[in-house]
Amino acid sequence: MALIDIRDLHVSFGEVQAVRGVSAAVAEGESYGIVGESGSGKSTVLRALCGLAPITAGAVTVVNEPLGRRRSAAFHRRVQMVFQDPYASLHPRHTIDRVLSEPLAIHGFADRESRILQALDEVGLGAGFRFRYPHQLSGGQRQRVAIARALILEPRVLLLDEPTSALDASIQAEVLNLLDRLRSERGLTYILVSHDLAVVAHMCERLLVMQHGRAVEELTRDSLRARSAAEAYTRALLSASEGYTPAGATP
Amino acid sequence: MTLLHVDNLRVTFPTRQGPAEVVRGVSFALGRERLGIVGESGSGKSQTGRAILGLTPPPGRATADRLSFDGIDLCRATPRQWRQLRGARISMVMQDPKFSLNPVMTIGRQLIEAARAPRAEAHDRAMAMLDAVQIRDPARVFAAYPHELSGGMGQRAMIAMMLMAEPDLLIADEPTSALDVTVQIEVLRILDRLVEDRGMGLIFISHDLRLVGSFCDRVLVMYAGRVVEELAAADLAQARHPYTQGLLNCLPRIEGGRRPLPTLQREAGWAL
Ligand SMILES: Nc1ncnc2c1ncn2[C@@H]1O[C@H](COP(=O)(O)OP(=O)(O)O)[C@@H](O)[C@H]1O
Ligand SMILES: Nc1ncnc2c1ncn2[C@@H]1O[C@H](COP(=O)(O)OP(=O)(O)O)[C@@H](O)[C@H]1O
Ligand SMILES: [Mg+2]
Ligand SMILES: [Mg+2]
Repeated sequence: MALIDIRDLHVSFGEVQAVRGVSAAVAEGESYGIVGESGSGKSTVLRALCGLAPITAGAVTVVNEPLGRRRSAAFHRRVQMVFQDPYASLHPRHTIDRVLSEPLAIHGFADRESRILQALDEVGLGAGFRFRYPHQLSGGQRQRVAIARALILEPRVLLLDEPTSALDASIQAEVLNLLDRLRSERGLTYILVSHDLAVVAHMCERLLVMQHGRAVEELTRDSLRARSAAEAYTRALLSASEGYTPAGATP
Repeated sequence: MTLLHVDNLRVTFPTRQGPAEVVRGVSFALGRERLGIVGESGSGKSQTGRAILGLTPPPGRATADRLSFDGIDLCRATPRQWRQLRGARISMVMQDPKFSLNPVMTIGRQLIEAARAPRAEAHDRAMAMLDAVQIRDPARVFAAYPHELSGGMGQRAMIAMMLMAEPDLLIADEPTSALDVTVQIEVLRILDRLVEDRGMGLIFISHDLRLVGSFCDRVLVMYAGRVVEELAAADLAQARHPYTQGLLNCLPRIEGGRRPLPTLQREAGWAL
């Protein structure tokens, strides 16, 4: 059975139908991608999973827990989210130590000190960063803190919303490598949202293409690489992702 | 024909630790072509573009041995000469639309003022431009104020505005970074046509090496305020500088590549 099962998910904000019938089944240990242009509903799918957006219709099951209006504390231990903007997602006046100890306190962990040190070590920051403030860190370091915060409760699932979109290419490579390594070491399951097809192709075995709140098509990494997309929209996305082709040069 | 000469351009900001030079001796010449400036954030791309237009924010200071546009010495241009140049013969699309659209004027009025043409003609051209930058509802955007538009919409409106004046030189600072890839390609097509058909010179500033490589004729690669490499875009794959090579290699590829991704190993010598 799938670890995450999304069936005909609909999410509306008043008049706005942000997600209009999306289904996906993600197996344990899999990395599943969602790509699409801005406003296509990618973030809303993740937010609905976390309970940050209303599930208007459809059914979502995560680790055998059918999701209703409320998420249990156990859910938040198993499923964690990492957001795009490493600047906005950390409280500016909280030290890294405080950022990391809060989830541990909420969930009643005792061995906080050793967990914090371990988490900092795992994301490649080290103990020297423990008492710094977010403004004393670069964008890539902040995103490492956000990943450490998500990992500290030892979740099984990470929901990653454009985790490298705000980073320079060289820093993106470091963060993608970190996420890749953590997944294989810990057997984590990922849903990774990105507008960048190359990032999703690198990180995910399967992906869903979204447009205007709908699922356009689901592809495996191999079919993406073979350019065997069935839908015109996916092909347009593929061709635009390769860069610019002067008019007339297109076959 | 050379449109712009830049010789030993330097931009300095005072800081508590003393003056910080953020552009350190940049030199290049631009013809009626597409010149890309790439580099990571903080490398000095935007400050280079702004200095050419005399828009270095105070208390920063820009100096150059030579800065000339179409025979005009920009280092000694009078305020009157600048007024005649900016927005008319030289335009700049800024990275953040918030800073270049007038917040208290509708998009339509700004477009018409930029057109330098009779009103009826300007109106038609404005609507055509909004359409050309793939704005689905041009009439709504025409009547809107900047704050009523999303980031991507604002960026498109700004590109439309810069193109209204049909400048001889366009400095485009990350003009498409807030746009979706498919729209981005359409905007590049418009810029391409202006270079090809009207002989406009284009400085295209971007952090996206792949995009610049496929769109521009020539590329300047900036690191810590300096141009570390200049090469034809077609030769990017054969770049010599380890920084340029590193930037290219660390990109994930749809067709698959190395895992883990190669990361950039910075060397102290690059910044000297
Ligand atoms: N909290 C909200 N209230 C109203 N509309 C929203 C809200 N969140 C998202 N939307 C709308 O839902 C649509 C999908 O948004 P989103 O999921 O953020 O797209 P993506 O992540 O693909 O860019 C957009 O039209 C957006 O404006
Ligand atoms: N107003 C300013 N005061 C002081 N330093 C500045 C100012 N604007 C930019 N800088 C610094 O100049 C350097 C180059 O900035 P910029 O040209 O914006 O880089 P890029 O566009 O390549 O990201 C950066 O280190 C930045 O911090
Ligand atoms: Mg989003
Ligand atoms: Mg910039």
